[in-house]
Amino acid sequence: MRKAWLKWTMLGAPALIAAGCATAPDPATTRQIAEKMVSEDFTAPTPALLKRLEQDRSQRICSKIGDAKLTQEEAAEVVKLARASIQYPASGKLVGDWKVGNTLAHDGAGDRIQFGRLEKRKENGGLCQNCHALAPGEINVGNVGPSLTGYGAQRGNSEAIAKLTYERIYNAWAYSPCSNMPRLGATRHLTPEQIAHLVAFLIDPASPVNGKR
Amino acid sequence: MAEPMKIRATLQGDVADVRILMLHPMETGQRKDAKGEIVPLHFIQSVVVTHNGRTVLDTQWSQAVSRNPFLGLRVKGAKAGDKISVTWVDNKGDKRTDEATVAPAS
Amino acid sequence: MPTTRGGFAAILLACLAAWGAALAQSDDPLAVGRKMLAEDNPGELWIERGKALFHQKRGPRNASLEQCDFGLGPGKLDGATAQLPRYFPDTDRVQDLESRLLTCMVQLQGFNRDDIVKRAISPAGSNGSDVEALALYITSRSNGMKINISLSHQKEYDAYKAGEYLFYRRSGQTDFACLQCHGEANKRIRLQDLIHMTDKKGVQEVVSTWPAYRGAHFVVRTMQWRLYDCFWQMRLPELKYASDASIALTTYLHYQGNGAVIKVPGFKR
Repeated sequence: MRKAWLKWTMLGAPALIAAGCATAPDPATTRQIAEKMVSEDFTAPTPALLKRLEQDRSQRICSKIGDAKLTQEEAAEVVKLARASIQYPASGKLVGDWKVGNTLAHDGAGDRIQFGRLEKRKENGGLCQNCHALAPGEINVGNVGPSLTGYGAQRGNSEAIAKLTYERIYNAWAYSPCSNMPRLGATRHLTPEQIAHLVAFLIDPASPVNGKR
Repeated sequence: MAEPMKIRATLQGDVADVRILMLHPMETGQRKDAKGEIVPLHFIQSVVVTHNGRTVLDTQWSQAVSRNPFLGLRVKGAKAGDKISVTWVDNKGDKRTDEATVAPAS
Repeated sequence: MPTTRGGFAAILLACLAAWGAALAQSDDPLAVGRKMLAEDNPGELWIERGKALFHQKRGPRNASLEQCDFGLGPGKLDGATAQLPRYFPDTDRVQDLESRLLTCMVQLQGFNRDDIVKRAISPAGSNGSDVEALALYITSRSNGMKINISLSHQKEYDAYKAGEYLFYRRSGQTDFACLQCHGEANKRIRLQDLIHMTDKKGVQEVVSTWPAYRGAHFVVRTMQWRLYDCFWQMRLPELKYASDASIALTTYLHYQGNGAVIKVPGFKR
């Protein structure tokens, strides 16, 4: 320990470091150090893909550390930005085909980067099954998010419900700022048309989500 | 080529609880490699376990057994210090024998 | 041996009853299965491999790793992993186990760093890499000991705080930080349990069970691989092996998990 301390003073280490006691860096310094790591310690096949690590304003706000809380102003700002981001399908149809939505909801693949290559498929998976229970009786489903079993049966399939459901999938933060749920449409992971299929999957009475156990 | 096994044999009353871990690819002959070519069949065909030289288990395995297989068995009439020997032979003629001594009950 | 159908049925019922009773003793059949896997872990076979590799003269300099200093002096392995990551004056960096291994393989054995990094994470179903076996062997020399890292050097404290920052940093099209999956108890993705890492017991479990045998890959995996794989799933760019970012996250998790008793190889799905 003493040898190392001598070495530090010889190297001109700051006087603040006394006999092996370091001090907590201030948040600005931590941010600087960490963001430098983010900019240097990742690789991607193209510079555009490297940009995935850049945070937008909402992500910045929602990266609260430890017990830090979201203020009312911040929450309002995130909601406002989320609402403004919402785009609807060109056709105007918010409810697509539940059969297509069914496949999408169980698809957890697409758009990952490995060994210098991008996993490009025809379309990205919805990732829903990873975190949500879907049709009753399915075992291989996650619980990070609330269960969606009986979603349509409980809420009906009115235009209002279709719109609400569409918007929550497109950008969940418009309703729950800084929610754990990815802003699937806003981040372009899913297209508006794909989201319409997922809406159908959730609210169509014929969909397995609303079926019997 | 053949990797060493790990054998644990512990006495429980007069029964030796024997647990064997083996390293082997156990290729089914149906898997394709990164180039899209079939990885050839390569699996342990027989496993023989002896207790103080007497055969207590003589098995025929197929490619259905998983990679890096585990085998557990219980041998009646064992005493601490007894010798357990395990030999496997695979479809390429490769073989491996390892031994362990039955440890007293913990 | 039963000669009547009735006799056979009676024995079958008795067997089922006994099996049912055994299950009832443990509420969770999955826990029974996991316990069996933990007791007989193929990963243990990598320990001897790692030991052999450690003492073997290898590389362009035809040297062993016996002079490698993991923080307790050259060649001192007992308790080495328990005090990693830590600051090293000779490299003027905070280093974790794998990064330090890299340093020694390059400096003592003369290997090319890029070559080691390229092979460090072995293909699934292979015999595993030298790094994986070495990392497991060295960590196994701390089995039974408590993780005990300090933040006494400024760079260690900086790494810890940077790791914490990264743990909560949301980015990419999934808007995920580590917190989104690892910030609550009793959560799982599909059937894969997620460790609650903002909880002391959870993070202690994380830091004491790597390197681990990854059943689905049939090889031993390390913490560097685990971090890399998380970023892969989050649809983010690839985390560089033994980078400062990976070491910062590891430092954060290990400090949070101080007191955990090391028990490797772990067993993961």
